[in-house]
Amino acid sequence: MRKMLLALMMMAATPAFAQDVPKGDGVNGKKVYLADGCYQCHGRVGQGGLMTGPAPILAQTKMPYAAFKRQLRNPINDMPPYPETLLSEKELADIYAFLQALPGRRPVKDIPILNNNYN
Amino acid sequence: MSKRKDAIGRRGFLKGAGAAGAALGGTVGTSASAAAQPAQPAQPAAAPLPNMAAETMPPAPDPVQQSSSGGDFMVDVLKMLGVDYVTQTPANTFRGLHEAIINHGGNKAPELLSCTHEEIAVAMAHGYVKIEGKPLAILCQSTVGLQHAAMALYNAYCDQAPVYMILGNSVDASKRLFSFEWSHAAIDPAVIVRDYVKWDDQPGSLQHFAESAMRAWKIAMTPPMGPVLLSLDSEMQENPIPNRAALSVPPLTRVAFPQGDSAAVAETAGLLVKAENPVIVADRLARTQGGMDRLVELAETLQCPVIDAGGRSNFPTRHPLNHSGRSGAVLAQADVILGLELNDFYGTTHMLSDRIERRTRQITKPGARTISISASDLSGKSNDQQFQRFQAVDLAIAADGETTLPALIEEVKRGIDAARKTAFDARRKRLENSYHTMVEQWKSDATLGWDASPITLARLCAELYDQIKTDDWSMVGNGIRVTWPRRLWNFDKTYRWIGSSGGAGVGYNAPASLGAALANRKYGRLSVSIQGDGDLMFCPGTLWTAAHHRIPILYVMHNNRAWHQELMYVQAMCNRHGRGVENAHIGTTIDDPNIDFAMMAKSMGVYAEGPITNPKDLAPALKRALAVVRKGQPALVDVITDPR
Repeated sequence: MRKMLLALMMMAATPAFAQDVPKGDGVNGKKVYLADGCYQCHGRVGQGGLMTGPAPILAQTKMPYAAFKRQLRNPINDMPPYPETLLSEKELADIYAFLQALPGRRPVKDIPILNNNYN
Repeated sequence: MSKRKDAIGRRGFLKGAGAAGAALGGTVGTSASAAAQPAQPAQPAAAPLPNMAAETMPPAPDPVQQSSSGGDFMVDVLKMLGVDYVTQTPANTFRGLHEAIINHGGNKAPELLSCTHEEIAVAMAHGYVKIEGKPLAILCQSTVGLQHAAMALYNAYCDQAPVYMILGNSVDASKRLFSFEWSHAAIDPAVIVRDYVKWDDQPGSLQHFAESAMRAWKIAMTPPMGPVLLSLDSEMQENPIPNRAALSVPPLTRVAFPQGDSAAVAETAGLLVKAENPVIVADRLARTQGGMDRLVELAETLQCPVIDAGGRSNFPTRHPLNHSGRSGAVLAQADVILGLELNDFYGTTHMLSDRIERRTRQITKPGARTISISASDLSGKSNDQQFQRFQAVDLAIAADGETTLPALIEEVKRGIDAARKTAFDARRKRLENSYHTMVEQWKSDATLGWDASPITLARLCAELYDQIKTDDWSMVGNGIRVTWPRRLWNFDKTYRWIGSSGGAGVGYNAPASLGAALANRKYGRLSVSIQGDGDLMFCPGTLWTAAHHRIPILYVMHNNRAWHQELMYVQAMCNRHGRGVENAHIGTTIDDPNIDFAMMAKSMGVYAEGPITNPKDLAPALKRALAVVRKGQPALVDVITDPR
């Protein structure tokens, strides 16, 4: 958990601008996300995984694209690196587009057992 | 084979032993007359004799029946210890004791349980003792059986679980007949596990056995608790008792656990009271409900956060001072950190990075005071390195954590004045707010991928808890320590969770869960286990034992069709070497063919459903399986899950 928080803090500190985000192909991004094993730690729907340490939630990530790219190319924590020889610039953008297109969170009130279990 | 009449006085021996057991000591047995004398040999069947001389000779002095055995005496000692069960895979070197348990002892307290592998027998004992608080016994073949059992013994040792191991061994070489009796014998059988057994002995007589049995129990049950082993000669188990009247069993010693030095406890209390941001980290602390209750009392007295490291169920998950889910945040602010039976103090206070250059970085503030209260400081073995990296704490109190808590609480209360009380109350409010924010975040996180297939672990855990929360449930296994139960479930009792394997030896979860379920059975608790696919394939025969002995437990498969932790490790190596991950599945996945765990369970008499891939099918399947479990039978639901 602490590793994940550190990673997120560092990423959040990175300046980014909307115009820095290249247009990606989310459909291909999903294929690459699965083929390159991103889902093994982050889950097929980007739900993250605490068991493996710094595997933050990626669905509709607020992480700026520049920070996202830097984390893949030269990760700050235990995440495996994805240099350009393994993941092209286009594939990287496609994955980012896929993550932005994921359904993300639902309102907790729409799932009664999540509330009932806390009563 | 017909049942024999009680013509040879075995019940008389048992009654005598029972009387002695009630007094916890004294001479065993009252019907000693002729006990050691062989019964009359049976007359040979009529058959042609070679000559008249042979016909007129007296029978050879070769008795074929006996009226007592060392095994009978051993059973009586086990009864005096209060052993309720004996797990075992049958073997020739303990056939004497085996027979004594099922006949002389009536197969009741202890009752013999059948396991298809010695690793199952030991892991069941491991899980059992963490619920019941006292060991069952394991019978095991020396050499071949012990090597099967070794992995589970190692887990128990690392987890400080008192496991009571009995080996059969053929000591006297001149008595070994067949080739396998030689391969099942050793001069010193325990040597292969001595690094991770707290104490062992190979008694040379029944009197020696009685004393060592009591000594072993005392040593196993004294913190730091751990496995003990007795190697019992086959001849001693099988042969008549030479002089029964001379045997005596020492009384079972009551053990007072080591409590922390009073001055050191007072110093600790002073530091905690003065601290602005004290943090308590508890790991293998709570053996009993009293341990959890005392920890709550200490935390509420100080109004400080508690991190439950999960070695046992130490602190209620719904308590607003439980900040296990934001451990990094509270540790970063801490000025005093108290570790209670904390296995890895260094790893708690440092960030460890698995990179080419392995790095560690302290995450606590410089100058933060660290205190440890742990019985682990009283152990001294070194070959196996389960004791983790050295943490130079400011004060190490070598004592049992649970036993020391009452004195610590009293010292803390003594040191609190009105000003500190006001500060503590303000701290409580801040911590409550942080706790509630954390819980709302967890609930929101759980919605991610709610309808996805494969099923997310959050959905699996939420659906399972929704159906057991009104039962007196106990999560007896969580193979890879899925974090969602700790976030979504109300762990308010020590028996809600028993901790993990200790040694991270895969193959623990299925049988240890079953052992804990066995202990829960008499309390009417509902036992559930989140079961990894890789783990179950180490000891699949566990399911047969569950069915055979009607042990109610629900296994919910977390079936990601991989040894997934290793898959991620190999993936990390692939990327580190710039080779891509396309081959990372080689040697790390459990597919092609996929294992049909429901079919496997059914083949061994366990109710089963699955594979469940649609999350909407999960709740109905769990409901049907739980109905079976509530009727006293085991069940399994195979769920195809997202990897993590």
